[in-house]
This record gives sequence, structure tokens and C-alpha cells, in this order.
Amino acid sequence: MEQLLELHLPNILGAEKEAIKKAVTIAEKMGFARDRIEDLKTALAEACINAIEHGNKFDQNKKVRVTLAADDNSLQVIVYDEGDGIDPKKIPTKRVRDDGFPCRRGYGVFLISNLMNEFYFEKNSGKGNNVKMLMHLNG
Amino acid sequence: MSKDIKVSTSQKGDIAVISIQGDVTAMTGEVIGNAYGSADVSNSPKILLQFDKDCYINSGGLASLIDIASEGRKKQQKIHAYGLSDHFQKIFHMVGLTRCIPIFTSEEAAMKDF
Repeated sequence: MEQLLELHLPNILGAEKEAIKKAVTIAEKMGFARDRIEDLKTALAEACINAIEHGNKFDQNKKVRVTLAADDNSLQVIVYDEGDGIDPKKIPTKRVRDDGFPCRRGYGVFLISNLMNEFYFEKNSGKGNNVKMLMHLNG
Repeated sequence: MSKDIKVSTSQKGDIAVISIQGDVTAMTGEVIGNAYGSADVSNSPKILLQFDKDCYINSGGLASLIDIASEGRKKQQKIHAYGLSDHFQKIFHMVGLTRCIPIFTSEEAAMKDF
């Protein structure tokens, strides 16, 4: 994979928009279809929001790092936080209440898993964790 | 009003309409909540959410919409939506929001089905 971009975002909600804008430009150049680019925008937004909220716990002294890399077949996006990490096993999976109504929260990882071809939780080499997401051109 | 969202309310017959342009997020959800809470909307049995096709909605925004749907259910209100882009129609289906806020392809269809 060739790294194309590295961004350091402030740890505030809304900062993800800068990453989305840059990712869209790269995805368009790579030839992704419009609907796949919309999927990428949502997945990247949710990964950044999770990093800001759950990873860095809204600590404005921390940053969210985003890298984009590509090869002929795929775009790889990695979102890094500087937090203590979350246990992937503790991520809520319940999305429907007992009365059949949708739950209020807990859609970030669900959306990422449904919109991207692959995703992984990893520990950073230093402090924090990252989510690696891959979108395939033919997928 | 938040700079990232524009929300207005109007009345079409017995239907209260909430028009939404911009970003539907945790930060702007309160603006939609306030529109829903305004007297003419909160007392209406029929509510239409009119989304601009360029609306951006994230999981925080979905939570705000679920809050409205939940409140609407308590009050036995019917809430319909239209105007969403294909992508956000897909997201609504994915998270199950269409079970409480059905989405329509046109204003006419949304109003006719109340």
C-alpha cells in the first residue's frame, strides 16, 4: 500500500469533516462509484467520532490521526486515537430494544462493519488504538 | 440556531412539517428537538420530516431522530419522512429507523399515506 495522506485532527466533534473531504477526493481519483464514496464518508465519520468520543474521551489535548493508503484494488483508511482503548468485546451489539424500537446509540461500529469491505481493531505501536478499514474497488 | 443546520416548521392541513437542511448530528440534534417540541408540532397527530437531499446524518443525528420517534410513539403521533438521499435511505433501513419513521420518495406519497 502506498500512503497517500496523513491528517492530525483536533479531538472535537465536527473535525472529521476535514478527513471526509480529503478521503472523497482520493476515492474519486481511484474511480470508486458514488454510492461507495457515500459509504466511505459515513464509515470514516463514525470511526473518527468513536475515536473522539470513546477513544480520546473528548480530551482536547489529544488528537485523532487519520491515514489513507491505496493499492490498485483497495483504499485503506486507518483512524488512530490516543486513548486507553476499548475492548471490542464490550462494544454494544444490541440495536433493537425489547419493545422492537431501535436503540438510541451504538451504531458506529455497526455502520462501519456494514459499509466497508473489511475492518479491524488494532493496538497502536505507542499509546492508543486504531480502526483499520478497507474498501475494495471491485467490492 | 447552529450554523450547520437550518430547521423550520410549517403546517400543511393537519400535518406539521419539519424541514431540515444541513448536518443532523449530536451537536445539531437539539435544534431538531426544539422544532419538534414547538407547540404546533408537538400537538400534531401527523408529522412530516422533510429532509434536504444534501443532508448529512451521523450516528449522533440518528440518536436524535430516534428520540423524536420515541416521543412520537408515546404521543401516538405518526411520523413520516421524505427527501433523504439514497445513501441515507439505506442507513435508515440498516439501523431499523424505518420501523418507526417510514420513508417515502415524494412529499405527495408521504402525505397521502398518513
